[in-house]
Amino acid sequence: MEVTRPALVFDRVGYAYEEAPREAVSDISLTIAEGEWVGVTGPTNAGKSTLCLLAMGLAPHFFGGRLKGGVTVLGKDSRQVSVIERSAEVGLLFQNPFTQVSGARERVDDEVAFGPECHGVARPEVEARVAEAMERVGIAHLAARHPMDLSGGQLQRLALAGLLAMRPAVLLLDEPTSQLDPAGAAAIFDVLAGLHQRGTTILMVEHRLERLCELCPRVVAMAAGRVIADGPPDEVFNREAVQERVGIPVFTRLARDGALPRPWPVRVGDAATAFAKSIA
Amino acid sequence: MPEIRLEDVRFAYPGGVDVYPEPGLTLALGDGVTALVGENGAGKTTLTKLLIGLLRPRAGSVTVQGEDVAKATVAAMARIVGYSFQNPDDQLFERTVRAEVSFGPRVLRKPVAEVERGVAWALEACGLKGREEVHPHDLGLSERKWVAIASALAGEPQVVVLDEPTLGQDYPSRERLRSLVAQLADMGRTVLVVTHDMDFVGEACSSTVVLSEGAVRYAGPTAAAFADRDLVDEAGIEPPHVTSLARRLGLGDAVSERAFLAALGR
Repeated sequence: MEVTRPALVFDRVGYAYEEAPREAVSDISLTIAEGEWVGVTGPTNAGKSTLCLLAMGLAPHFFGGRLKGGVTVLGKDSRQVSVIERSAEVGLLFQNPFTQVSGARERVDDEVAFGPECHGVARPEVEARVAEAMERVGIAHLAARHPMDLSGGQLQRLALAGLLAMRPAVLLLDEPTSQLDPAGAAAIFDVLAGLHQRGTTILMVEHRLERLCELCPRVVAMAAGRVIADGPPDEVFNREAVQERVGIPVFTRLARDGALPRPWPVRVGDAATAFAKSIA
Repeated sequence: MPEIRLEDVRFAYPGGVDVYPEPGLTLALGDGVTALVGENGAGKTTLTKLLIGLLRPRAGSVTVQGEDVAKATVAAMARIVGYSFQNPDDQLFERTVRAEVSFGPRVLRKPVAEVERGVAWALEACGLKGREEVHPHDLGLSERKWVAIASALAGEPQVVVLDEPTLGQDYPSRERLRSLVAQLADMGRTVLVVTHDMDFVGEACSSTVVLSEGAVRYAGPTAAAFADRDLVDEAGIEPPHVTSLARRLGLGDAVSERAFLAALGR
């Protein structure tokens, strides 16, 4: 069997924000291998965004607070590396793209160049990366616009382009298409599928369960700061605790309400097969 | 009489982005819940801002509840239209959830009893009971979104405009939103929901307006919008998940789970 190095390791992690009475996440143990595409979902306040901030090192380096256990990314312990150092290999897309843009750049292409420039990448290389990243997420035509004049969806694509220009080995994405129209979202997921194929490790927070089940071979379900299920989506969403506390994909709910036998399907293709069988 | 009417509306942002090119946007909306959908940059948010007078058309007219928006003050429009922004952080500034939610009706100098009734109803409907004294910025994005929605409702406006209300919302929250808009429709209010969430459109919105490149491509019943495949392709939208399943099974174009199960005979 091929042995892959873990990209992300959470070892009994607990974390409380500065002055918070309770931990935002507790007792998280997760190992994510290099090249995996893992979806994270759960209700409000489940700790999903905190998980991303911990993996980036912003918690605790930027947010302060109390960290228990160990967070190791690409072999490096969070306590031993700065966020700047980690950002050479790891990119975090914030939930709200308005908080992602630097505010220091007046053109979209300059904003995309911000990361590589801060890391001292040579100018011709920066230019090549910026052009490629803008092309990939479909914002090449906006190169000369001011970042603050963009719509929510355009800004979200700009934020992702800024990360791609860093060529990260690990991508942490907090609802990467929340502001995008369906066609735009599909295009971004195609980009992510391409990165996944080339070996990028992706941890992606996503509320839309149908999308999650379609895209991610592995799903981590969280509630109240803890991991309550971890595995292939079919398995995770057939658990009652997940259905009650996290939710149930449309196709799974239809199978339940349509009185199909368990286990219920989570994807459209499997649902079509299961319903076809029940009609026949 | 339509509650909302736009006639030959032209609008361009300073700097030149022409949102509604010739001949301008024309649209009439009645009561009930209407979804406003279309690709990024189609002019959805601009349309909602025209309804409350936050933006003024270059040409054409906008009428809400018989009130000509061009002649009304923003305060007068605020009595008629409750509006929640796409990004709640553009809207929230008070120190507690209660102060935030009651801000609108207080500024409109409504009678105290009326303010209290509206605020209590909005807090309850938005699941914010028990969170009244929290600072809005100590809440997560999803709850901040609910504070913004509650603020839009607290003045008991006849027209409610929600820009991307399902953004960042988990399933229970989306269910709450679905029952909230249904309740508003039962109360005879006009609700306009800007969204990319087609499942929500299919489940919660009886009518749909599809915008594309600054023009109305479709306005009518939701089911018929998704049944029109050319429209769906050209406008950058997609049918609800349940519709894709119904089609694969040859069960027609059901847009809601209830319609799907009915077609299935269960």
